[in-house]
Amino acid sequence: MRLRRNQPSNQGMGLAGETMLALGAALFVLPIVLIAITAFKPDAEIVHFKSVLPQTATTGNFKEILGNPEEIPIFRWFLNSVLVSSAVALLVVTVSSMAAYAFARLDLAGKRWIFPLIIGTLMVPGQVLLVPAYLILNRLGWLDTPLALIIPAGGGAFGFFLLHQFFLGIPKDLEEAAELDGCSRWRIFWNVVLPLSRPALASLAIFTFVGSWNDFLGPLVFLDSVDKYTLPVGVALFQTSYYAEYGLTMAAAALCTLPVVVAFLFFQRFITQSVALTGLKD
Amino acid sequence: MTSRRNLSRYTGYFFALPYLILFTGFVLLPLFYGLTLSLFRWEMLSPLPAQFVGIANFQEAFHDNYFWQALGTTLRFVLLAMPPTIGLALLIAAGLRAAPTKRQSFYRAAYFLPTIMTISVAGILWRWFYNSEFGLFNAFLAPAGVKIPWITDVRWAMPSIVLMTLWWTIGGPMMALLAGLQNIPISYYEAASIDGAKPGTQFWRITLPLLRPVLLFVVVLNVIGSVQVFGQVYMITRGGPELSTRTLVQYIYETAFNNYRMGYAAALSWLLFVLIALFSFIQFRLMREQ
Repeated sequence: MRLRRNQPSNQGMGLAGETMLALGAALFVLPIVLIAITAFKPDAEIVHFKSVLPQTATTGNFKEILGNPEEIPIFRWFLNSVLVSSAVALLVVTVSSMAAYAFARLDLAGKRWIFPLIIGTLMVPGQVLLVPAYLILNRLGWLDTPLALIIPAGGGAFGFFLLHQFFLGIPKDLEEAAELDGCSRWRIFWNVVLPLSRPALASLAIFTFVGSWNDFLGPLVFLDSVDKYTLPVGVALFQTSYYAEYGLTMAAAALCTLPVVVAFLFFQRFITQSVALTGLKD
Repeated sequence: MTSRRNLSRYTGYFFALPYLILFTGFVLLPLFYGLTLSLFRWEMLSPLPAQFVGIANFQEAFHDNYFWQALGTTLRFVLLAMPPTIGLALLIAAGLRAAPTKRQSFYRAAYFLPTIMTISVAGILWRWFYNSEFGLFNAFLAPAGVKIPWITDVRWAMPSIVLMTLWWTIGGPMMALLAGLQNIPISYYEAASIDGAKPGTQFWRITLPLLRPVLLFVVVLNVIGSVQVFGQVYMITRGGPELSTRTLVQYIYETAFNNYRMGYAAALSWLLFVLIALFSFIQFRLMREQ
């Protein structure tokens, strides 16, 4: 009995059980592996499926995609995605952490009714805001610019709520000691609170980055020019413009997916942590 | 002393102001602007200015067969997608919990991987799988002489969307349920085993009751997400065949950005919001009573 305590997650799964679990896992990953494999097939082999692996592997699809920046500005889309997602992550972490700190620790006039107002909007689906947000962005002249995808993201309540709960859990002693030493509020925030919150900030940054990288409806509605597109809407173009060219489409899909998969494998712990905290994905 | 105290009540705003401005401008304002819009008739492409029409947009929705069809399709999707998603997520989470610690995070990552795919890539991939002529699924079925009209037949299209959704969205609920399972002390199961309780009994008597708060959370979140289904339908079937997979959000999207009927689209958005609020309320009540 004592011994088993050391491995609390293992309830003694049989070989059959683990085989099932592994088979299921393979089934979930297989479609993603198929993108990578299929991207190296010539069109004829995709349309007339013979085997999973290509019989004559070719890099032609990638060459054609990367070699036509006029027609297929995929590198441009990639840069747009990197710019937008990084800016969104930076903005969300910055403004949410500052506000969450104020609400968790500082005396704030009107806090009692502003806080529930913010938390209440967690319930509001993004689609409800889509039409009015489009009209507001139109008024601001931000449509068809990266600003339309970046700035509104800073107002979301999720990051604020996550960090607020996290800050409440930090013991007050350290901050009080710093206050006695004569530190300003800003220095306490910057030199004491933020370093202690690194895991939560990292989770939020990565989670926000991936969410923005994968956002489809936003760029679909707010952007017009093909050279302003982010990768997801750019890749979606292939379905209309290059309808029958599955090889090209798969190569584009592979290029779009690779960074996310690599980021996920690197930062897995942070991403799964924040999902476990919120359980979300719509 | 008092003046300094009063001043300190506002220093917090130095920290909070940037967020509060963005929150007001891009969450609160659109929310109420949308409500106002829903009371106006405004065709963005026509030269006529927006005209106040009261609740006429909501009345129009009430008589709009396309709206009712989209609502029905949405509810059908929720009913078809939610139970298997939650059931399978629970099954996988239970499997992960029992898996050897060394390999647990490996399996977990595998099941979670589809969830981080962007919908356009996932949609393109499954559209190829489902293609009746040169799709992968029918290629696999060809030796058996079977050919399934995955997304071209009214009866098959919705179940096909559900199957793809299952693959794409299981990661979130699975992760939350796994966290919930890991919070149940292993000693409860050990004690039950000593008393001779079978695994099935342990599941119904220990796991389910203790998991209920997490389960409630996951079900509510999943339903809220499913009511807003858009990306997979837009990418794979475009709402077809014969509008059989056109959901509410796609109808709102088309009303606003294909037909530019902004007032009507805002009214439909608010109806969607009310539907979501209603769903969450009912579910919380139901689960609490049990």
